[in-house]
Amino acid sequence: MKRTKKSSWFSRHRASAAVSILLAFVFVIVGLFTVLRVQTRVQESAVRQRGIHSLRLLVADSSAGLKPDTVARSKAEKFFLLQTMKKYEGQLLRFRFMEGFDLKNLKRRFVGQVQGPGMEHLHDLAARAVVRQGPVVEFDTTEKNNPRLVLALPLPTGDVGIVVRPVDVPPPPAPWLGIFLLLGLAIVLAVVLPPRWAPLGAGGLMALGGALLFAGYRMTTLGSDFAIMGQGFTGLTKGYFPLAWLTLSLVLLGVAALWATGHVGRFFATIKQNRIAYTYILPAMAGMLVLVLLPFAIGLGLGFMNHCNGQFQFIGLSNFWEILSGGGSSITNPLNFYFTLGVTLMWTFLNVFLHVSIGLSLALLLKDPALKMKGIYRVLLIIPWAMPNYITALMWKGMFQQQYGAINILLDNLGIGGISWFSSFWPAFMANVITNTWLGFPFMMVVSLGALQSIPGSLYEAAEVDGASKWQQFKHITLPLLRPALFPSIILGSIWTFNMFNVIYLVSGGEPGGGTDILITEAYQWAFKRGERYGLAAAYATLIFIVLILYSRAANKLSKASEDM
Amino acid sequence: MKPSSRTRIILTHVFLILFTIATLYPVMLVIRKSLSPGDNFSRSLNPIPQTVTLKHYKDVIGSRDSAGRQLFFRQLLNSVVVAMITTIIGLFLAATAAYAFSRFRFAGRGIGLNMFLIVQMFPATLIMIPLYVIMDKLGLLNSIIGLVLVYSTTAIPFCVFMLKGYFDTIPKELEEAAWIDGATRFGMFWRVVIPLSKPALAVTALFSFMTAWNEFILAETFLNEETAYTLPVMLQHYVGSHSTAWGKFAAGSVIVSLPVMALFYVLQKYLVSGLTAGGVKG
Repeated sequence: MKRTKKSSWFSRHRASAAVSILLAFVFVIVGLFTVLRVQTRVQESAVRQRGIHSLRLLVADSSAGLKPDTVARSKAEKFFLLQTMKKYEGQLLRFRFMEGFDLKNLKRRFVGQVQGPGMEHLHDLAARAVVRQGPVVEFDTTEKNNPRLVLALPLPTGDVGIVVRPVDVPPPPAPWLGIFLLLGLAIVLAVVLPPRWAPLGAGGLMALGGALLFAGYRMTTLGSDFAIMGQGFTGLTKGYFPLAWLTLSLVLLGVAALWATGHVGRFFATIKQNRIAYTYILPAMAGMLVLVLLPFAIGLGLGFMNHCNGQFQFIGLSNFWEILSGGGSSITNPLNFYFTLGVTLMWTFLNVFLHVSIGLSLALLLKDPALKMKGIYRVLLIIPWAMPNYITALMWKGMFQQQYGAINILLDNLGIGGISWFSSFWPAFMANVITNTWLGFPFMMVVSLGALQSIPGSLYEAAEVDGASKWQQFKHITLPLLRPALFPSIILGSIWTFNMFNVIYLVSGGEPGGGTDILITEAYQWAFKRGERYGLAAAYATLIFIVLILYSRAANKLSKASEDM
Repeated sequence: MKPSSRTRIILTHVFLILFTIATLYPVMLVIRKSLSPGDNFSRSLNPIPQTVTLKHYKDVIGSRDSAGRQLFFRQLLNSVVVAMITTIIGLFLAATAAYAFSRFRFAGRGIGLNMFLIVQMFPATLIMIPLYVIMDKLGLLNSIIGLVLVYSTTAIPFCVFMLKGYFDTIPKELEEAAWIDGATRFGMFWRVVIPLSKPALAVTALFSFMTAWNEFILAETFLNEETAYTLPVMLQHYVGSHSTAWGKFAAGSVIVSLPVMALFYVLQKYLVSGLTAGGVKG
């Protein structure tokens, strides 16, 4: 009885026990690596500090002759002075060996040109010290059990001092006891705790342990640069290491917590259940994840950063504040967010209105059963849609040109006189609108044609019998039945127009003075034209996104309400 | 036919002819420019060129870089390859995803659909900088593969919506019949749903192709070598900041637009039905 219970305990708890132990191991290994890595760094850095200190002591004394107590304090074994002979633009350097001391036995003294093994190395070291204008430290590990430190320091006189001294800082002992204690505790917890909570307990413990170890080691770094450790460990630029560590801990803790609440189990069950559906979606989803959602997430993150010379710095909500407060410019200034927002809304509304009304009117005309050659009109009227829109934009820009543009010539011939299209707001804005209307109405025309086709002709016949006028038919049959079909297209079209970068950027280019910029081109200007303010541009783009989300939500509610009517 | 309706038809024709001419006038000006000598627009409004020359076309097609390498055909090849592969990959990815969204009820369906909708609202500027970094890290800058990946994924959301709408209109009974006849899940998708969705697939393919064929901002950002350019990037460079080679630009525009126009012409009979089935169903 007992035995069966025991075996079933294991089978019941196998998965969670395995996960807990795995988690525990992950943390221990990560923790161990951190400890060892940090340890070497700490040690090296401490040794460096002491070496440089002792070299400074010696250098300070060397002019007045070496004093025994300084020598003793410096712990140096050998001390050399190299005289700088030639200096080519700080690149190629040659040195003359001046003098050297064996400081263990002050009677041994090298003077003048001494050739020998390692001499070239000393020259090289001296050269690097001069180029760096600071101390250069190397570990000489030719004797495994007796590592030596070789330091070079440029002197104010232009010479270079080099010292060889033992590595005198013993490595701090690895906290094996602590690590194994924690591991043991984790395994005990994994077994003792109820299975669902076990991974959480073990994982949490390990995360805590790792963090404590890490914090402890950070405190013993004797003034060493914390950033160097991070660099050495992860190969990333400074400051990322603690962040990576924290993220890893939190993610694993989160997984453990979800496990405890049963979400992980349910997650896998769902995957198993809908295996086929997920297989179909997976390829598309994977691509989207890497190439759309990941950049999007990074982009959102950038909104909280400031960019300066390739470095990003976290500045919280400052970008958003700068944008939403108007950035110190009045509301009539094109750089003001609300001005641009207003222009964008006007731009979107006007365009969509023109697209739909022109497209729908054409569709209504083309629907007439008595009309011949429908196909030809349709093909020809689709052309603006088929043209690549940047070509359209550039083509219209050419047409709006002041001297040779077709539009001004036409206006001239009509006796109105040409307009300088891009030197004041309204003409420039209208030039954009005309261009975008030209390229946008065919889409709405095609959609309307399709929607009209879906309305049964019998309705019109019935209305005709009842004596309804054309206008009444349009108002009471066409429009209500068209609405649900057109609505998604209108929402989509307004989103496209809202983000219509090409037309604005290529036709008016924001002229005059950024006045006709819409939000998306404004964001682009901040990123690429006004001092690489990527952070601000990202914040701008985030706001655009929020506006669109709100809009589509409202629009969806509206469409639901209109369908209920 | 009643006389009133006859005059109405004539008026409609007159209006439509005038409207079509007005619509096509800019295009005709571009064609005139591409055929007439010189790099500036003339002050004439006549859309028929006075003197016809193919010089601009020859210039565009015969363009070479500083090392003397042929540019146009390389760029044409780049564009064609990018657009074709994008269409194939995009269509395949969108069709499978749309099928799942249309036929299965699974956890995360709503979220997934919403995500595909929201993704369309992402401002491209927001994505561009991180995307550049990612492509750089993956070593895909200056390569066609990188462009294909980006284009096919950015085209997916819209394509999924269109295809899902169309798939929804195909009766499930057809698949059930195939199921009884011993078809596999994939067989039902591949042999029943796909052949029935020709209009929607044609339109989706057209959009994928257009996305890839026409795009130039990302292409210009990701491509640095002239031989790696796609045609739109080349065209964009004719309209440089210092001087505009309108003649070459016009000729290039005609060359670039022709394939898309041809595709539109071939597929236009599908356009109405393919586009609206998705729209009607939302």
